[in-house]
Amino acid sequence: MQTVTVKPRKEIRISVEAENISPDKFAGKTEKEIQSLEAWMGNEKTTLGELFSVKVDGQAPAADTKLVLEGDFSRVKRIGEGMTGGLIMVKGNVDMHIGAKMSGGKITVMGNADSWAGREMKGGELIIEGNAGYYLGAGYRGETCGMRGGKITVMGNALDYAGDHMCGGEIIVKGNAGLLPGLCNNGGKIVIEGNTSMPGSEMSKGTIIISGTVEEMMPVFRLEGAEALDGVTYRKYAGDVIVNGKGLLYVK
Amino acid sequence: MELLIKNGAVYDPVNGIKGDKTDIPIKDGKIVASVSSKAAVIDAGGRLVMPGGVDAHSHIAGAKVNVGRIMRPEDTRIGIRPRTKITRPYTGYTVPNVYAMGYRYAQMGYTTVFEAAQAIMKARHTHEELEEIPIIDKGALTLFGSNWPTMDYVREKNMDKLAAYVAWGLLASRGYGIKVVNPGGGEMWGFGKNVTGLDDVVPNFDVTPKDIIVSLMKANEMLGLPHSVHLHCNNLGKPGNYKTTLASMELAKQVKPSRDRQVLHVTHLTFNVWGGTNWGDFESKADEVANYLNSSENITTDMGQLIFGSATTMTADGPVQYANAKLLHAKWANGDVELEDASGVVPIFYVKQVSIHAIMWAMGLELALLTKDPYKVLLTTDHPNGGPFVNYPDVIALLMSNKKRQEEIKTLHEAVHKRTKIPGIERELDFNDIAIMTRAGSAKVLGLLDTKGHLGVGADADIAIYDIKPDQIDPSVEHARIKSAFSSAAYTIKGGEVVVKDGQVVATPAGRTFWVDASVPEQHRNEMLRDIRLKFKNYYSINLANYMVQDAYVTHPNVVKAGAIPVEVN
Repeated sequence: MQTVTVKPRKEIRISVEAENISPDKFAGKTEKEIQSLEAWMGNEKTTLGELFSVKVDGQAPAADTKLVLEGDFSRVKRIGEGMTGGLIMVKGNVDMHIGAKMSGGKITVMGNADSWAGREMKGGELIIEGNAGYYLGAGYRGETCGMRGGKITVMGNALDYAGDHMCGGEIIVKGNAGLLPGLCNNGGKIVIEGNTSMPGSEMSKGTIIISGTVEEMMPVFRLEGAEALDGVTYRKYAGDVIVNGKGLLYVK
Repeated sequence: MELLIKNGAVYDPVNGIKGDKTDIPIKDGKIVASVSSKAAVIDAGGRLVMPGGVDAHSHIAGAKVNVGRIMRPEDTRIGIRPRTKITRPYTGYTVPNVYAMGYRYAQMGYTTVFEAAQAIMKARHTHEELEEIPIIDKGALTLFGSNWPTMDYVREKNMDKLAAYVAWGLLASRGYGIKVVNPGGGEMWGFGKNVTGLDDVVPNFDVTPKDIIVSLMKANEMLGLPHSVHLHCNNLGKPGNYKTTLASMELAKQVKPSRDRQVLHVTHLTFNVWGGTNWGDFESKADEVANYLNSSENITTDMGQLIFGSATTMTADGPVQYANAKLLHAKWANGDVELEDASGVVPIFYVKQVSIHAIMWAMGLELALLTKDPYKVLLTTDHPNGGPFVNYPDVIALLMSNKKRQEEIKTLHEAVHKRTKIPGIERELDFNDIAIMTRAGSAKVLGLLDTKGHLGVGADADIAIYDIKPDQIDPSVEHARIKSAFSSAAYTIKGGEVVVKDGQVVATPAGRTFWVDASVPEQHRNEMLRDIRLKFKNYYSINLANYMVQDAYVTHPNVVKAGAIPVEVN
């Protein structure tokens, strides 16, 4: 087991691109090696060591590496990007693109995550104990597939476009979700326990389950009667009929 | 400024040099007979030296390239390079930004690239981008195949006015040659239709694709343009279209060339040698087309090789792009250029395990390997339709190594065995063949052989040195080294200046833009312009004065003179 504790040396005001903060990049490395990894702050190239203090305990491969991020990471982007295994524990808020393209391992954010959390994720697990921003588990601009696998759980609320262009995997939002969750859903599962509006537009495959109130339904679904899931009865819709979709939308 | 390249293993097909140790003296951007002892020296140390690469068909600038960029923001995430002291930041793979176009071509040892299609009305945009592409020399072919004036004059059989229109269109667009895309189809697409063969009649104009192609070939030769008609055949993208392609090639027999070059260049054949009647019995007919090329004169082609992975198809062939978008459920951009043509852009991902894609991959290679004369088949990927140009080194390695092809075939859909001839083709091209397909041949096809594509005295000092020693390498076995050497030139010299060293861009001079100023008798020109003014008055949404590309758009011009007047005077 390798544990790496990372703390900002000072308040970070300009956003930092920190795709190198990941178990895959830290595994088996010494403090000095980790501190020399590249990071960009705004348009300036710098190193992780310039921005963060790093403490390493033990040496292990990525799967047995745990990162503990203490302090304010709310201007630090792309943490855990592409990670294949191991653990990241963030004791606070993070900026955009946490866990983007990750394929394994687990990330827990104890605060809030900004937009694009779990963007184009392929596997593993992302837990956000606070709120998530826009485009949770979505595909970035122009991509045909967002999340393809893995699981995202948000204990709080998510903003608009959760699961945009999702092609697989599962998103659970315990609170409310903003507008248009599951837009262009192409095979993912989205569970929203709170309220939302206009779910499942242009979905071709996949499942969306909403236990709260749907403020507005898009007029592109065909009602297919009622169905019970885990003992709760939902109205079952199929669509989006405009794109010949085979998606299922359950609304309580 | 003098420079001497010593000890290079030079491949210069035009001058008959095949790997001999030859020194190349350079003075003031040109290759000369000798230089003084003060000349700076580059010791090639027995490494491969070729003329700078020339690409006769690539989509590097203009309206549809930019539509591709706009509709594919995801493409911009690939290949990101930050700014350096010398280079600007650049991004993208299939639709890279303008800087990447210049840098990446130069890194591969290419120094001249021609944009393959610009509508006259969109030409200002093309030139704004060409101006910003660093290092390489450029030019753009102008679309004439579905233009209303073209079809009017073809119907009226008025060759004088047609030639005058072509000459004026080249001036208006600062264009280099005649491009014809799915002749007649661009007009029909305005009504949601397409032409299905060379003899279909285009409504309202009463002309056939055949009439358009033959008349434009004749006009091309009347004007003595440096390049020939550059044809994207009808029925592209439809199984069985090889028959249309062969029938189009047959038309070349009706016209005599006015210069030492072909009368018809049929482009990106990977998309035009399709057999079968539907997607189920789809097969390669590249062998039949190669046989035709072997027994014919005056026709050249290029591969349009397919590259597996991401590509962006972009063409003035509007209807085929609508069909593609429907077939692939992909993003689709459609364009209508008023009286001139249509266009469409659709992203695609070529997959090894999809039978159609595997067969298409074989077609370009079959064509290049089964056609005996490499001057007849140029190396292209129809960037970015078949794949991005940065993959040329991979195509070179495939052409030079049967071993690499067999390794690749093992990873492909089994249809490649039954529906193509590629598994049984053992021919391996040598450095001389490659130099022809990427340099001498392209320059000859474009009519640039006086200054490009060779290393004789008087040629532009555009030279590539690659980090391989031809006498010490077996390309058949060491194909990976061939690929990496051609990907990153040891030196690229452009106009006598070292622009790339060890694969890194070290200088970014501005390249020139070639365009053709063809003169025609004043009377023909005036008669034609009366018709054009009427077209603008009645139909165009813009004024004639806002239509022409002005000199301000082409700040590094290289004007090539052509024209009918000397012929008339005699």
